[in-house]
Amino acid sequence: MQNHLRRVLTRCYPNMIINYMKTFYSTIILAALCLWLSACKEPNIDEGILPFAVPTTVDADGGNWRTVVLKSTADITVPQPAATTSDTYQKELSDLKNGLLATTPEQNTAVNYWAVGGVLRWNQIARQLVAKYNNLPGYDPATGQVISADIANPNAGAPYAARIYALLSVAQYDALVVAWRAKYQYNRSSLEGQGVLSRVPVLNVPSYPSEDAAIAEASCQVLAFLFPNETAWLKAKAAEHKQSRIWAGANVNSDLKAGEDLAAGVAAKVIDRAKTDKFNGTNDPANVWTGLLANARYDQKWQSLGIPARSPVLPLAGLVKTWFDSTAIFRSSPAAPPATTSSEFQKALSEVRDIASARTRDQWRIANYWDNGANTYSLSGQWNFLAEDLIRQAGQNELRTARSYALLNRAMQDATTASWRIMYTYFVPRPSQIDPAIKTAVTIPNMPGYVSPHATVSTAAGAALAYLFPANANTLNAQAAESGLSGLYGGTHYRFDIDEGAKMGNLIGQLAVTEAKADGAK
Amino acid sequence: MGVETHAQGHLDGFMRGQRKGSLAIIGSQETYDTYYVNRTETQNPNIGTVTTQALTLVGTYGLGYDLDLILSAPYIRTEASAGYSPKQESLQDASATLRWEAFDYKFGTSRLSWQFAVGYSVPMQNYVNDALVVIGRGSKNLDGRTLLHFKSRSFFLTGQYGYIRRGQVSLDHIVNTYDPGQLNPNSGSKVNVPDVTELIIRGGYVNKWLNIDVWGQRQSPHSTGTNIGPGIPFPTNAVGFTRVGATAYIRLLKQFGLTAGYGTTLDGRNTGKSTQINGGLVIGHWTANN
Repeated sequence: MQNHLRRVLTRCYPNMIINYMKTFYSTIILAALCLWLSACKEPNIDEGILPFAVPTTVDADGGNWRTVVLKSTADITVPQPAATTSDTYQKELSDLKNGLLATTPEQNTAVNYWAVGGVLRWNQIARQLVAKYNNLPGYDPATGQVISADIANPNAGAPYAARIYALLSVAQYDALVVAWRAKYQYNRSSLEGQGVLSRVPVLNVPSYPSEDAAIAEASCQVLAFLFPNETAWLKAKAAEHKQSRIWAGANVNSDLKAGEDLAAGVAAKVIDRAKTDKFNGTNDPANVWTGLLANARYDQKWQSLGIPARSPVLPLAGLVKTWFDSTAIFRSSPAAPPATTSSEFQKALSEVRDIASARTRDQWRIANYWDNGANTYSLSGQWNFLAEDLIRQAGQNELRTARSYALLNRAMQDATTASWRIMYTYFVPRPSQIDPAIKTAVTIPNMPGYVSPHATVSTAAGAALAYLFPANANTLNAQAAESGLSGLYGGTHYRFDIDEGAKMGNLIGQLAVTEAKADGAK
Repeated sequence: MGVETHAQGHLDGFMRGQRKGSLAIIGSQETYDTYYVNRTETQNPNIGTVTTQALTLVGTYGLGYDLDLILSAPYIRTEASAGYSPKQESLQDASATLRWEAFDYKFGTSRLSWQFAVGYSVPMQNYVNDALVVIGRGSKNLDGRTLLHFKSRSFFLTGQYGYIRRGQVSLDHIVNTYDPGQLNPNSGSKVNVPDVTELIIRGGYVNKWLNIDVWGQRQSPHSTGTNIGPGIPFPTNAVGFTRVGATAYIRLLKQFGLTAGYGTTLDGRNTGKSTQINGGLVIGHWTANN
């Protein structure tokens, strides 16, 4: 080939000197060609593939577990289903069997997607929506742009995110307790028991009412209330979720209908609670916070460090209704930290300064890992993400998954509320306000720093999860501690912010554990 | 949002010659107070002016009369004048490039040479890559390009076109931003850095003692990529730019010369609107020696 080329070129262009090509050089040209060929479009983010986790228990007593918002499962009635011998049911069953023979690839994709777990999937959806909408209004330090009004969210902040996860998980949990009670009350045989070969593993519980329809409807309604702009998209997701159970061969239509109806009743009650939880107005449009700042019992007053200065994040979020006993939570609220003139404070400040001036790569990594700032899942979402792995490893069924999330997210929302209340009591300045030479690994959150919400929330989350997943307790406690320290490594918190936050977080975590011990689940 | 790998743009059309080498040490300073969020110019009082200084060691060696090896290693420091972003400094990406002159045509006193180059660069240190003020993107890159170099008497014109394939990088955190196309958010912390294509045209005057040229460089993202935004990881941003500049080299002694350059950004995407000056010492065979 090369010689041929040379001959042709030499004949045609005798004046030209053709360099002799060594075979070795062809590898370079070959490599260059391969590079061009491989230059295909690639996604920004690689998606992992989740295997199905097989639930380890059915929790037949789940209908007796203690509900959160519902006073009792009797608040919602689930009608008696038609007998499996009835014509209507037999018609549903034969329709389902015929449908199974004609499922499309798109339907199978939906089946596999939702079979990973309805509660897990809706939790992921909520995390994505939080990342989309948890966008602070005004000047954005990450881009230097003023965020336009259509995407800015005046309620954005950690309390906003924590509340979304808590309301979602509680609605899912209460709906599933009601579903479980009706399942074992009516005992409609699972489809597998009637000779249907389902496409994915199905939990061996009575099929009526469908737990998936209950999850889909409860999640969709609560999220649509919280994200009204996404209603159409959420409804499409919920419809797909429900239908996927028919395509999978797991439920017939009447199973879905009953699940949907009971969940609508539960969701209405959860939304009622959300309307009266005092979250509205926490962004303080009337600037009540300036009065609080003036009265703060600390020798230096917090200032916004952004340019231009902005009002702090959700100043009234410390007043949000708690899930656990608020008297118990605030009984031992931390006192003011040492005054800035004290030697203790100076010691704490120099610790921050020393770390900031010689920050290691690993300290940076930790600060960045736990940052969870604007347009992310938020810290509470990060813990939801971490819990997902534990839930899957433990093989928790839908009901147990919802319980785990409801417990975790209630603890985290209360911890967020508690830390917010302390922050806007003392208005303690961030280290960089006292010493502007302290540079931070992450953007300084636009709010006071005492107590550290990361330490409070993560300690509470770690305690709740350590109870639920005792085998992972050591890792979880280490993660919670690291999350607290991330503020010190990043340069945004003093050690006393973290220590006092962890104390509050631990107290709230213990309240969650007490609740979990008494809720009927073994 | 970091500076680009410093090896880029060092490639010229002049072969070094068999067993002839050179070693250069080049210092540069690059500043910007305006940057592009997507294509929109933005200034940020929380950052002010970002100044990046680099010290780059460049070695070239002629493995054959038609095969050169080019190595480079920069040390970079970058700092913002306002706000609380810390200074970053570290060794950046080491790169190695093989350049092969595949064809060489002579027409009287003119010469046209067609070259191919393959390069690879890899971060020498695990520097921070996901912040507004960083020294680089942290990816391993494979660079393939072809060059057409035309020289007539003392004037030359070089055009080169390349594709830079950038590998994945690990963020310090879980990917936790909104992506409507993402079915399954359990993606861990790996993200892809968008690939780019690059076109560079350089033309100038060269004699035994002197080399002066002007150049234009256009880098465009090939993959879709993201734009700078709250929560968006910086490495996934689609970066592109159009820069122009000039380079001069003067040979003072047989084996010793000085080089200087200037470059400025006309247009960009998710990068700083920067202006760069550089100067360096060169020992051995550089452009004008050939």
